[in-house]
Amino acid sequence: MKFVISALSACTLVAIATAAQAEVAVIVNAGASAAPTQSDVANIFLGKDKSLKGVDQKDWNPTKDKFYSGVTSKNESQLKSYWSGLVFTGKGQPLPSVADDAAVVAKVGAEADAIGYVDKAAVTDKVKVLFTLP
Amino acid sequence: MTQLRVLTLAACLASTSAFALDQGEYRFNGFGTAGITHLGGEDDGRSYGVNGQTNDSWRGDQLSKLGGQFQYGLTDTVGVTVQATAKPEQDNWKANLEWAYLSWQATDGLMLRTGRLRSPVYMYSETLDVGFTYPWLRLPDEVYSQVQVSNYEGADAIYTLPLSFGSVAFQVAGGQAVNRNIFAADELYDIDYKKIFAANVSLATNDFGTVRLGYTEADINTDITARVTTPFDTQTTIPLNQLDDQKGKFTSIGYQYDNGTWLTANEWTSRVIEADDQGSTDAFYLMGGRRFGDFLAHVTYAQLDEDDGRQTSWTYGLNYNVTPTVIVKSEYKRVDTSGNGYNGVFVEKAQESYNHAVYSATNGLAGTPSRNYDGDIISVGVDFVF
Repeated sequence: MKFVISALSACTLVAIATAAQAEVAVIVNAGASAAPTQSDVANIFLGKDKSLKGVDQKDWNPTKDKFYSGVTSKNESQLKSYWSGLVFTGKGQPLPSVADDAAVVAKVGAEADAIGYVDKAAVTDKVKVLFTLP
Repeated sequence: MTQLRVLTLAACLASTSAFALDQGEYRFNGFGTAGITHLGGEDDGRSYGVNGQTNDSWRGDQLSKLGGQFQYGLTDTVGVTVQATAKPEQDNWKANLEWAYLSWQATDGLMLRTGRLRSPVYMYSETLDVGFTYPWLRLPDEVYSQVQVSNYEGADAIYTLPLSFGSVAFQVAGGQAVNRNIFAADELYDIDYKKIFAANVSLATNDFGTVRLGYTEADINTDITARVTTPFDTQTTIPLNQLDDQKGKFTSIGYQYDNGTWLTANEWTSRVIEADDQGSTDAFYLMGGRRFGDFLAHVTYAQLDEDDGRQTSWTYGLNYNVTPTVIVKSEYKRVDTSGNGYNGVFVEKAQESYNHAVYSATNGLAGTPSRNYDGDIISVGVDFVF
């Protein structure tokens, strides 16, 4: 029993470690012709560039943290403050968001002009990886 | 209240389009500040600030405010936005319709709006009441007490262009704001701003911060006169500031940078009113801060220059992010004025100003000499958005 528990916790630890090290992939629809650069992606997810539809993740998670800090140099409270500035000046609305990696992949896989970010492990052949964040 | 909650819930549940709301969609957002502030080191009852609510008793009505904003998509590109606030004006709480406008997202980059809008005078003008969007509890008074009108009726156009290293946004606005209040010499007076024209450009870079350049002008009408007692114990009416369609011009240059650890916010402003026998009013502030986890420590130097003298201040602040949408803030601000008897943002009653004028006109035979002021302002509060 004791062995099972420790094995379980080891597995959990491994899982956590993997999650922490996981690469974040920025994805578009497999048939998409647009190939935005990292700064284009920053503009899309900050609501300044409307050429593609950004699909956000609902809750703040390690993937979201890595994406926003890597691409837009903003942490959670800075991002909240940024969007408050736009919402309360009537200049923009936060991007629509979905629950998790699988939902992002499903949405980006289904919509030709959608763009999202997910854990690299969640990528399927319905989507194309633009670049990854280590 | 229940209705409000249902609305909020519905707004959260509604799936939303990116920039304009889809037809039939709505959003409710709110913001607020609960704060108290105190002025020490001055005479009993001496007050300070835009509406003179900072004095030697701990008061909540200089900083506290509550606001709500409702947005509704009439079509996929046309929307209606209404924002209401409750905030104190002088000594009374007042409900304000800050804005109510129709917006049209004409193209991906161009948005046109008409109705009651916030006047884009300063760098933080459009979120003046949303303390959450700036680091202080009190925006630097030296700059932010100069133009008191916060909204106007008219139209604006905003054009945003994405760039390889960031984005640039242009805004032009025009309209008028009539029958507004202006706080002067411890009283509220009527003021009209006509033929308002404003234009600004904001260049946001991904790595090097944001620069904003703004210009606003308006024809101003106001008649600020007061009843005072003369040295002979009679009553007389004196003009303090009378403007008859004189053009006021306001320029603001701002720079903000925030890399997650270090941040800075700076703004320089200049105000000129044509033919008012006074030079320009120039002011600026320089702010630097550093984040330590959920804490933010910041320091600000601010300066205000007018013909009569100069006000300078140092502000030291410590903020704590309780959650990503709630910030507890504390601030200590030391203010000094210098010059030939200059009140700066300290409030002088009309009678005092008159007594000072009498003193200098009679070479000290009557009246009271003007003097400089100094004080220590402590503020503590909470900013939140939802």
